[in-house]
Amino acid sequence: MPKLTIDGEEIEVPDGLSVLQACELAGVEIPRFCYHERLSIAGNCRMCLVEVKPGPPKPQASCALPAGEGMEVSTNSPMVRKARHGVMEFLLINHPLDCPICDQGGECDLQDQAMAFGHDGSRFAENKRAVGDKYMGPLINTIMTRCIHCTRCVRFSTEVGGVEDMGMVNRGEHAEITTLGKAVSSEMSGNVIDLCPVGALTSKPYSFVARPWELRKTETIDVLDAVGANIRVDARGNEVLRVLPRLNEDVNEEWITDKTRFACDGLRRQRLDRPYVRNAEGKLAPAEWDDAFAAIAKRVKGLDGGKIAALAGDLCDVESMFALKALMGALGSPNLDCRQDGAKLDPTVRASYLFNTGIAGVEEADACLIIGSNPRWEAPLVNARLRKRWLQGSFPVGVVGPRHDLTYSHEYLGAGADTLRDIADGSHAFASVLKNAERPMLILGMGALARPDGAAVLAAARKIAEDTGMVGDGWNGFSVLHTAAARVGGLEIGFVPGAGGLDTNGILDASASGAVDVVYLLGADEVDTKKLGNAFVIYQGHHGDAGAHVADVILPGAAYTEKSGTYVNTEGRVQQGQLAAFPPGDAREDWTILRALSAALDCTLPFDDVAALRKQIREAFPRFVRLDDPEPAAWGEFGMAGTMDSTPFGSPIANFHMTDPISRASETMAKCTQEFLNNQNEATGTDG
Amino acid sequence: MSEGEKTIRKRRHPGRGRGKGRVHPKGRQLDVAAQEDVLALLGDKPRNRDLLIEHLHLIQDSQGCLPAPHMVALADEMRLPLAEVYEVASFYAHFDIVKDDEERPPAVTVRVCDSLTCEMMGAQTLLKDLRTKYDGAVRVVPAPCMGRCDCPPVAEVGHAHVTNATVASVDAAVSGGDTSPTIPDYRGFDAYCADGGYALLRSCLDGGKTVEDILAALDDSGLRGLGGAGFPTGRKWQLVRAEPKPRYMTINADEGEPGTFKDRHYLETDPHRFLEGMLIGVWAVEAERAYIYLRDEYPQIRKLLQIEMPKLVAAGLAKEDSIELRRGAGAYICGEESAMIESIEGKRGLPRHRPPYVAQVGLFDRPTLVNNVETLFWIRDIVEKGATWFGDQGRNGGKGLRSYSVSGRVAEPGVKLAPAGVTVQELIDEFCGGMADGHTFKAYLPGGASGGILPASKGDLPLEFGKLESEGCFVGSHAVVILSDKDDMGDVARNLMRFFEDESCGQCTPCRVGTEKAVALMSDRDWDVPLLEELGRAMADASICGLGQAAANPLFSVLKHFREEVV
Repeated sequence: MPKLTIDGEEIEVPDGLSVLQACELAGVEIPRFCYHERLSIAGNCRMCLVEVKPGPPKPQASCALPAGEGMEVSTNSPMVRKARHGVMEFLLINHPLDCPICDQGGECDLQDQAMAFGHDGSRFAENKRAVGDKYMGPLINTIMTRCIHCTRCVRFSTEVGGVEDMGMVNRGEHAEITTLGKAVSSEMSGNVIDLCPVGALTSKPYSFVARPWELRKTETIDVLDAVGANIRVDARGNEVLRVLPRLNEDVNEEWITDKTRFACDGLRRQRLDRPYVRNAEGKLAPAEWDDAFAAIAKRVKGLDGGKIAALAGDLCDVESMFALKALMGALGSPNLDCRQDGAKLDPTVRASYLFNTGIAGVEEADACLIIGSNPRWEAPLVNARLRKRWLQGSFPVGVVGPRHDLTYSHEYLGAGADTLRDIADGSHAFASVLKNAERPMLILGMGALARPDGAAVLAAARKIAEDTGMVGDGWNGFSVLHTAAARVGGLEIGFVPGAGGLDTNGILDASASGAVDVVYLLGADEVDTKKLGNAFVIYQGHHGDAGAHVADVILPGAAYTEKSGTYVNTEGRVQQGQLAAFPPGDAREDWTILRALSAALDCTLPFDDVAALRKQIREAFPRFVRLDDPEPAAWGEFGMAGTMDSTPFGSPIANFHMTDPISRASETMAKCTQEFLNNQNEATGTDG
Repeated sequence: MSEGEKTIRKRRHPGRGRGKGRVHPKGRQLDVAAQEDVLALLGDKPRNRDLLIEHLHLIQDSQGCLPAPHMVALADEMRLPLAEVYEVASFYAHFDIVKDDEERPPAVTVRVCDSLTCEMMGAQTLLKDLRTKYDGAVRVVPAPCMGRCDCPPVAEVGHAHVTNATVASVDAAVSGGDTSPTIPDYRGFDAYCADGGYALLRSCLDGGKTVEDILAALDDSGLRGLGGAGFPTGRKWQLVRAEPKPRYMTINADEGEPGTFKDRHYLETDPHRFLEGMLIGVWAVEAERAYIYLRDEYPQIRKLLQIEMPKLVAAGLAKEDSIELRRGAGAYICGEESAMIESIEGKRGLPRHRPPYVAQVGLFDRPTLVNNVETLFWIRDIVEKGATWFGDQGRNGGKGLRSYSVSGRVAEPGVKLAPAGVTVQELIDEFCGGMADGHTFKAYLPGGASGGILPASKGDLPLEFGKLESEGCFVGSHAVVILSDKDDMGDVARNLMRFFEDESCGQCTPCRVGTEKAVALMSDRDWDVPLLEELGRAMADASICGLGQAAANPLFSVLKHFREEVV
């Protein structure tokens, strides 16, 4: 614990801190461009200079200088100010100063710091250096003349992203950042846009769209995977223009995936903005809300509850699922499910469906077994944590299931259940790796659970967890990685078949055979809609996707940016999203649609506003009181011993960039699919 | 419009969902012919990452350049990202990357040294005349100091050096067709052993001498690092010895400081004296392995060492694979010890931050002893002749012997072994046969390009570590360049600044931008003195390594002592 003096004030800081970090602790802001707390130290911009005594009589880069006992640091002495002015002048000599046409304008580190350390005019009349722009894929726009060579982007893609596509070529004044014409192949590549302290790397889809001060910023939660990344949605008028990450150390640190960031243009396309009712000719015709409700009432009223079924989709908020469950209860139907993919998750034991280690907890694990999952696509942020942990060393990772480049080295153990059985009975060598670890963990993906023998796989995974000591005091290494933002929320409120009710596959089969007459799809687009047969399909959702195509009545709902909804991520973390823009046209927040429909069906649900609805949720499920604070789950018996099929585990995601109605409607995601997936298809023959 | 141009290529609509895309992913594809070339060149050599520069040399030598398809093939073969291979290849001056749409350079490249001494002796005219003469048939490019400042101007045809070059002598070398280096006459292994060589090493290995004996001798002699920094050698060895094993040793033979050629001199004449010193170092710090990092401008020494080093293993003086010769690729910055270590690891030569020091975290992140060639050269003599033999020499408060590389306007330039602390005036008069005919002593560079410039009136200062700092100068690698009344100080400073601009690694802002702007400002007839002074100060204060910190020294010196010549 070195004690040092910063600008005359003594402070004691933890060991291993740099002078820059010590200054931050002391509340003194140090300007910087290249330094970033989550990246390695480059020390190349030279903006963070401070004067340190004892030491040479010249300023030193505080980011690369370890804080030492008895140091006297001045951050604002004449020497420091002069040096910083000098460095700033150097940075601006070749910078084009094209702020009026730069997308970074208004949120630019260089602009801000030039206000503090810049001159009002340039003393250099020579021509500025010009650099050709580089192709970095459909997401990142480059204006390389603006680059100040801080190498944050190179360090991010290499260290966090785990793809070494970016580099700095040439030397001296000829230095350039480039990818050699290749798109940055990380699922998190968009973060370099945030990291770039100048306007060299900007968002391609967002180019020339808006200025930051025109935007209304709403802090909310992402739903395009089950991680629940904390995001900020920037909208102008009623249009969502971009999505940026928010800091949450326990979830996404300060990163988001490219899908989270760039799929927002899908919110403007293929929208359901008014109710539709299928007419006598079999065509969907625009209708009024009352007509739509009347059409539903005509089919549903008087129908036996057992002939009605409901499926909740992957993007649903807890409120709407709770409302639909209540409605189904009122209609007397036990047939409801939130597991669109038919995953054999056990809703009775919480620990069986949660990512029990927690996302941040991955960093404490010391061995990991991945079963039937490609975390790089299913949850890039979890994968980034795994990589972060792996970089620290001594982290054996074994994979059972599809083979992928996970950005960290891992042992490929086998394709499916046979290998899993060997690990479960302890005969596989990796079982002892797990046993010898102090805090082993396993990640169980939907590729292993969403299959007929899923319950047996779940049981095998439980056996591995128990036999290798994954579950104990203060540590639970059994982690289920979901892909759907709604899944854990649905399980938590019991959006699963009631006594004698049908699950997803049962509902689909029953619809095909005619045993079920009415199917209510709450944003459920990932089911095999062909199986719905002649059933009367009510689709409530926001995009004209698979579900809407087969619907007889369409009720236009709100997308995640258009409602205040509660989501539970794969860890069981309850988070609250906020409305950033209003739903388009006649579309409404989903719980209000269900509430209105219930009145039309003469079984009015007992809440009139969102506060009353949430109160009921909290009363029924008290853990929803704990926002952003996952409640640890108790271990129990789950899974069902049985024979496992030796078909290889698949991956639930065939295309990272298109997994849901929003990203499927996004032009940007279509470009990414073309760039990354279709190419790869041809070149390497991997499936997808 | 020709036939071919009329064809309209049909492209698929990008939003066609699951349709098939391009046949190839974007980015470069593996070319089968290039892959075969690369596989043949690499043979069964290891694919370790640290050998990247060595492997790039193989391609450059066989192809005359680095064609883009070969880079792709090499990246694929070494399992390295293409970006990393490009980063490294584009960093070093001796690699010529040729993109797909570019023409390959002509078979023969003539490099003309345009560093200070050569330029004073007409390098620019030679460069111009050669370019006119060959008009593109032979590639003629300027190059930084080739370490032969005692016989300027110098040109390099392929890998063969032409000293005191003229258009005629360069042309003779070009038309002669032999572009391989010529090994100079040197004292070979047998002659060296006959002279009592390797007796000391043997007694070290046998236990006749202890490490403490050697360290005591080094301490008593006052031997300091002769690469430029002057760190006491005995203390450095002790520091490294105190660190945990495994340890490495690296030898800095990347003598790039313009004006310095002493290491070349010793390696060319008596390589085994150096090798013995090195092996004593390996033994003393118990290093796993020693890496000799030799600059690419000395191909004749590479050849020579490739002949001599195996003899050490055969004679049982060195373990198999315990010495490795690594080849630089044209980067001054790799003379900085941490940049050199990066380069030995096969990376770009970007200097590292200190702390940690390389003695703690050096090559492959292990404790590393870094010594200069000449430092090791003296070890045998110091121990055999006694520490006092070395330590007692010296003048004006200096201690020991120094090899001054003297060049410029003196009658007899060359490596002058003189007592430490000798003054420049003594050096000229006693060791160099006075000034060259028709030249009057006006100024001198005490320590190569970065050591600053002093006027003749300061010719009585001892040329020794720590004695010139008060003048804003330093003696560094003891490269003394003598300037005369015929030399324009503005030109001198510009030449030196241009050198730093070319050699800046581009890592930190002040050096990357500052050197370039300084050259631009110094090209004006009248210098903007306040601006230049401020710019130089910011560079000196804020740069990461010595290159940027010292780059402004010649500028400051000229402004201090010869201001009237530039304003």
